[in-house]
Amino acid sequence: MIIRQEVDGIPALIAPTNGPMHAGLAFRVGFADEPLARRGITHLIEHLALYSFGVADYHYNGATGVEHTYFHMQGAEADIVAFLNGVCSGLRDLPMHRLPVEKEILRTEESSRGESPAERLALWRHGARDHGMPGYPEWGLHGLTPDDLRSWVARYFNRGNAVLWIAGPGVPAGLRLDLPDGTRQVVPAPSSTLPVRPAYFTGDSNVVAWDAVVKRGAAAAVFADVLKRMMFRSLRQEGGLSYNVLTDYTPRADGRAVIMAVADALPEKQDAVLGGFVDVLAAARLGMIDESEVTAVVNQRRDEMRHADAAGGRLPGQAFNLLDGRPLQSLEEALAELDAVTRGDVAAIAADACADGLLMTPGDNEADWAGFAEAPSESENLVDGIVYRSIGDSAPRLTAGEKGLSMTRMNSAVTVLFDECAAVLAWPDGGRIFIGNDAVQVRVEPALYPDGHAVVVALDARVRPELRVTMPPRDPERIPRPPASTTDTGSGSALSRVFRRIRGR
Amino acid sequence: MLPAMPPRQPVLDPAAAYPRINALRTALDSGDWPECRSVLDAAEPVERTELTMIAFGETGLETFLRGVLTGDPGDGAAGALLGQHLIGAAWRIRTAARSEQVSRERLAAFTEGLEVAERLLVDAAARSPHDPAIWTARLITARGLRLGRSEARRRYDRLAAIDPHHLPGQWQFLQQLCPKSGGVWALAHTFAGETAAAAPPGSFDPVLVAEAHLEHWLEEHGRSAAAGRRYLSAGPVRDELNEAADRSVRHPAFRRTHGWVRVTSTFAMAFALLDDRPAAAALFTALGDLGSDRPWDYLGDPGPTIVKYRKRAGGGGT
Repeated sequence: MIIRQEVDGIPALIAPTNGPMHAGLAFRVGFADEPLARRGITHLIEHLALYSFGVADYHYNGATGVEHTYFHMQGAEADIVAFLNGVCSGLRDLPMHRLPVEKEILRTEESSRGESPAERLALWRHGARDHGMPGYPEWGLHGLTPDDLRSWVARYFNRGNAVLWIAGPGVPAGLRLDLPDGTRQVVPAPSSTLPVRPAYFTGDSNVVAWDAVVKRGAAAAVFADVLKRMMFRSLRQEGGLSYNVLTDYTPRADGRAVIMAVADALPEKQDAVLGGFVDVLAAARLGMIDESEVTAVVNQRRDEMRHADAAGGRLPGQAFNLLDGRPLQSLEEALAELDAVTRGDVAAIAADACADGLLMTPGDNEADWAGFAEAPSESENLVDGIVYRSIGDSAPRLTAGEKGLSMTRMNSAVTVLFDECAAVLAWPDGGRIFIGNDAVQVRVEPALYPDGHAVVVALDARVRPELRVTMPPRDPERIPRPPASTTDTGSGSALSRVFRRIRGR
Repeated sequence: MLPAMPPRQPVLDPAAAYPRINALRTALDSGDWPECRSVLDAAEPVERTELTMIAFGETGLETFLRGVLTGDPGDGAAGALLGQHLIGAAWRIRTAARSEQVSRERLAAFTEGLEVAERLLVDAAARSPHDPAIWTARLITARGLRLGRSEARRRYDRLAAIDPHHLPGQWQFLQQLCPKSGGVWALAHTFAGETAAAAPPGSFDPVLVAEAHLEHWLEEHGRSAAAGRRYLSAGPVRDELNEAADRSVRHPAFRRTHGWVRVTSTFAMAFALLDDRPAAAALFTALGDLGSDRPWDYLGDPGPTIVKYRKRAGGGGT
């Protein structure tokens, strides 16, 4: 039974627990809210707010997600009070002297962490904005100032945009959530860069991944588990093609949910893992789903839900519901929804999911043969403007116009329009990468064009200043230069580095 | 003196040896699906798969078979037949020429046609995962669409789990392992040898040993008769061919079920080419009036070619 209360003007959800007391403070802000040029700001604030706790022997953490950010603590009542009060005062008065060090810590954290399939899928599905943000590095870290952080906190980490949950006997004495006033911030609507679905793009050689957006609910969650069982049987037990298979169900604020599936693949088995995965999806799409499998998953989820509820583990999800303006769901309601799921419901979700699917194939495998359309990696249109040829034909042709810029080589073109620009990475040597909202990138290396630096100045002037990300100086060795003489076309590496039609990092 | 009668040509139409082919053709032509099913359902697994493969060469079946599938999407026999039919249509666009001699437009249309077939077969396999005819067809699409050796292996493993002695599928997978499809000879010979060794006495499977050597002979030595003879008559190859024939076509348990003509004819060609005339003659005699296009078409027009080698072997009359 969840009790609703209010603590210092913040809605609170309170439920008993059969384990240690824990509590959390959640905010309706996440990666999806960050403009690309500010990417990383929420995570940085989360780190700064927790700085004062140092290496204290507490079970606490903070987590920045796509749509929500929360601070969580498990322990004695007094410790929880100290933690939540401390988070609020940390947010009110961020330890700005820590800014350079925390930025460095985050950069290290990022570089030690590989890019996950989920992030790649997010980028290709949504582009360089809102729900595509997890696919991008925390580029905003370079230029974020104390004022940037303060205005972000004022907008998102405020009383009106927070929900508290407590798994324990009640609101502990001494809890003082001193946050500024503010208003609830709605989750941005997810963008799409996929004109046709199901679609595919080529990814890493060692993994097949897929995601789909479906109606949120128990049937979709059950399907995610059923899919994992199908993959495990087909790819691991029968075929011995994959070692790890996993699926994931992530509800979204807009009433939809993302189902994701990943299977690893040895390089010599990648074709077979793709083929086997295509067959698993086909079976799901056509409703070849066992009644007994659905029953087994429902039973397992029912047990998990009961256990979670007893420990207060359903509270974070309910806090997010409250932040998203969605109804709260009692355990009884959730169990009833789960028990009502039929094999037919799961099959219907499976069919919807397959129709919406985005597949990341291993290596350079195509998937047209399996009915997936190639996701666009180029631009359809070129801008009107002045055409610049590179010195010694060392780089693609650059067209710079009043509306945007294009790079063309052979039959391929990439275009970024100034009105549709998500960010410009700017190096002190003049190198630029313009990134469009559709995640298409145009890279300009001024050294490779006559008057290249003047062109860059003109381009810079046409992009809103807040989109600019100032990058640290590059190693001079890595700055592309024109070939030494006209006989040396030197196109190879410089060309391939300059002309990147593939989106991504 | 009267001029000599021209030598009798072998009958190459498989329907001469296997009457169910004509029964199925008639049922297909008259759009009689219950009759098609009764012919297919009465067949043994290998025979059934071979029967579905006649749709490869027939034209004008698509509307009929799609209609059957609309009525019952789970009908695996209709799925396999339509798959083979679509594969055949795609292959006729491509022609049998080596890929570097086929125009880019033709190759694109071929790929597109095979993709249509493959998508149909993906669904058919999902609905009927234990149908060997569907997996056999998917071995052909895997090769034509260049889906990779490990994917072909996966499909073959699915087939072998249903029927480990399914020659039509084994033959397709052997093609995949040959260098012309991106494989290497060692893989092809190993697969043929292991499959032959695992087969029960008197079965068809050991013919894969002869198939692999004939592929190898054609690719590496086919341009020179003497070099070809040297390859096939070299000790180890000759021994392997004899051992395979002993386990298969020359074994008392060898049965004249669907496929026996092609198996016998393939061994006959191998022995004829390595110039073991008695061995070839015995097989030509066993074949009587019957013969097979494959693999004789590697040497040219199969009918006259068989006549020529049969005469040289001195068996099976003239």
